Amino acid sequence: MTGFPILRNFNRRAIDRADHFNGLNEPNKLTRQFWKKIKQVRVVAALVFFGAFTLLFLDAWHLVPLSIARTLTSFQLIPSLLKVSMVGGTVSAIGVMFVVLMTLTLGRVYCSTICPLGILQDLMIRIARKLNRRKRFKYSKAPQWLHYSVLALSALLLLLGSSMLIGDLLEPFSSFGRIVNTFALPAIVLSNNAASDLLARFGIYFLYNVPLHLEGVGALSLGLLFFATIGYMSMTEGRLFCNTFCPAGAILSLLTRVSLFKLAINKGACNDCGACDKVCKAQCIDSKSKEIDFSACVGCFNCLRSCPEEAIQYERRTLPAAQPVRVEFSQGRRDFFRNVTVPAATLLVAPGLVQGGSVLSGGTKPITPPGSLGIRHFTSVCTACHLCVTSCPTGVLRPSFMEYGLAGMFQPKMDYSVNYCNYDCVICGEVCPTGAITPLDMQTKKLVQIGKSTFNKDDCVVVSKKKDCAACSEHCPTKAVHTVPYENGLLLPEIDNELCIGCGACEHACPVTPKKAITVVSNSVHLKAKKPEVDKVKKPAVPAAGGEDFPF
Amino acid sequence: MDRRTFVKQTLGASIAFGAFMKTGSVFGAFADNPLPYDLVAIRGGEPGAMFDAGIKALGGMKSFVKKGDKVVVKPNIGWDVSPERAGNTNPQLVARIIEHCFEAGAKQVSVVDHTCDQWQRCYSNSGIQKAASETGARVVPGASASYYHDVEVPHGKSLTSTQEHEVILDADVFINVPVLKNHSGPKLTMAMKNLMGNVWDREYWHRTDLDQCIADFATYRKPTLNILDAYYVMKQNGPRGISVGDLVEMKSQVISTDIVAIDVAGAKLFGIDPFSVRYLKTAAEMKIGRADLENLRIKRITI
Repeated sequence: MTGFPILRNFNRRAIDRADHFNGLNEPNKLTRQFWKKIKQVRVVAALVFFGAFTLLFLDAWHLVPLSIARTLTSFQLIPSLLKVSMVGGTVSAIGVMFVVLMTLTLGRVYCSTICPLGILQDLMIRIARKLNRRKRFKYSKAPQWLHYSVLALSALLLLLGSSMLIGDLLEPFSSFGRIVNTFALPAIVLSNNAASDLLARFGIYFLYNVPLHLEGVGALSLGLLFFATIGYMSMTEGRLFCNTFCPAGAILSLLTRVSLFKLAINKGACNDCGACDKVCKAQCIDSKSKEIDFSACVGCFNCLRSCPEEAIQYERRTLPAAQPVRVEFSQGRRDFFRNVTVPAATLLVAPGLVQGGSVLSGGTKPITPPGSLGIRHFTSVCTACHLCVTSCPTGVLRPSFMEYGLAGMFQPKMDYSVNYCNYDCVICGEVCPTGAITPLDMQTKKLVQIGKSTFNKDDCVVVSKKKDCAACSEHCPTKAVHTVPYENGLLLPEIDNELCIGCGACEHACPVTPKKAITVVSNSVHLKAKKPEVDKVKKPAVPAAGGEDFPF
Repeated sequence: MDRRTFVKQTLGASIAFGAFMKTGSVFGAFADNPLPYDLVAIRGGEPGAMFDAGIKALGGMKSFVKKGDKVVVKPNIGWDVSPERAGNTNPQLVARIIEHCFEAGAKQVSVVDHTCDQWQRCYSNSGIQKAASETGARVVPGASASYYHDVEVPHGKSLTSTQEHEVILDADVFINVPVLKNHSGPKLTMAMKNLMGNVWDREYWHRTDLDQCIADFATYRKPTLNILDAYYVMKQNGPRGISVGDLVEMKSQVISTDIVAIDVAGAKLFGIDPFSVRYLKTAAEMKIGRADLENLRIKRITI
């Protein structure tokens, strides 16, 4: 027997496994092959989701159908949870149920397939491994107390009316969206515009220029800081973010405690090689004590593939998992969290406890998109994923920085210096995955008043220069801004704010510089505008000055 | 060589020619083959049929388009509204014009406008994108400053330079296809006002002296042909309109090479004094075209 170690091992494993499964049948050959391939299946799924979400956030061409965008985002846990609890939504509810059932069956597979920020971290981990081939992970106890505290604090803030922590800073889908929107999209747009300009030289207009929008210095620096932090964390400590700060990770981690199947090490089959420990991005496998902290496992299946003995398997446990005894954890890392992160987070969050919007100091309040009901609803639900920013056909929706206050950081606002809200468009409400912008039907949207126009007559071209202009009134879709006779046959703008919907067409079109003569002031709570009615034109008899049927 | 230099060099000859002419150049006109009429007015038919009759009276599209010409058709596609709202040029008319251009031997027909509302929604919901691509025309975007190049307007008073779309700069034949509408500022929008869609910086016009700038730009390069769509006419709440209640069905069309004459005829069709339209009065005074319709050779066709 000693000459055939493989055979020996196999026999030992077979016996141990039979023992381990408590009389359950040993998995057949097919099942074993499936588990061997599970990592490949997982990677394919991850790349499909990652690619799809990246394309979604890069789609400044508006090529992805809205139904596909809605279906894809419905699988995002926190946005869909917010949407279901705030405004309802069947597709989102199905998405949430799918994620919950998947987690209750196999654990946090979500984190390594559906979550785009998770896959982005995996890509960075891969880069780190390429740079340093000896890069190994080591078991380190997940800072559970901190992780659940973050979740509790996020929930508390949400109840207090700010989605700041859950969304604007930590929610993985939204963080991913912002990274793509802030850094990747401008690069793609620039390349597109260079290519389209080149083709235009040859009279080919198949590609066309897309407006380039860049974030301000503040948003850009904070975005970079976040990107650098998550990059550093993943390259050194794997999926530490997912087990420390990610609120979705925390919810799923709680669910795994009652998962039907859990990954565990078959102690008898384990040969103590420690291979699993070294490849575990979640750093949740303690190969010494042969325990897996399944609540921290992100379901990447690296361990399944690494184990030469097939000793790691999904195991059905009817009883709650015994808490692994953890002796080896990084005291340094723990101290880091305790001494640095928590006080910093508290400092950051304390002002955020103030409700969104009320932080604003007197000045002009931002205008929120139609369907968002007003500043309060919007800032308390929006996670600042910026999908509406990418999807908005006119580009009027732009990320804010501090205009909503700290509690509403990065959340989009209407920017009439860029463009105005298209009258016949409800796309932002259709794509919003959280319900911060509720979906509206076209007729309702056309009567939602998000702000009101104010006219500064003295600055108007008609008054200051005694010349025709009418840029504002020609753009107004409801004729809230119309013209009335003024001196010398000129026509002067006049506003009927009952008809005004605050779309910003007048403000955008006003040619007066540097201060526009007509501007829109935000409605903190959206109102209903009066429906524009027309007196039907009576068919005139065409005057017959030149005889026949013609007036000439 | 950057793109701007490239286009400038390529188009240098035509621009220089434009500066040389007394009241600006004209797109390809056949001086040796005078037209039988100065203005043709048609009423009573569908947009396409009215154009068939009208262009026939002028000797067919061959009077304007030579074999191998590059043609630009410039409708009004300013607004994201459907064809029945008549905020944009009638798509059936645009399609018929394109077909005539190709029949006359045009090498390429392009359709372009610098829209007010979001350009793709305007192109698509106006029905013009479909009309143009179905008839084989090239639909060209106009929503980026990079497509526009500086041009001088030597006879302009308020507008002495502006930027024009490169496909128009590059065209042999330019066909201006406005729709007759009420306008909240200069009262009416017709052929001269439609040329605002050729340029990039319209804000300058608005804040300087809109009426003068409209007249000034008409001195720059006269369209080969103007075709005024007055099938449905927006009588109020223009130029965007609120609903179909703003329209009357006039079933009319005017065709002329004279941009002033066609606008005077348009104002009369609309039912207001042409000289109450300030830019029209200015243009007539600047002698950009003829406002004295009574002295012109007019063909009137009723279908």
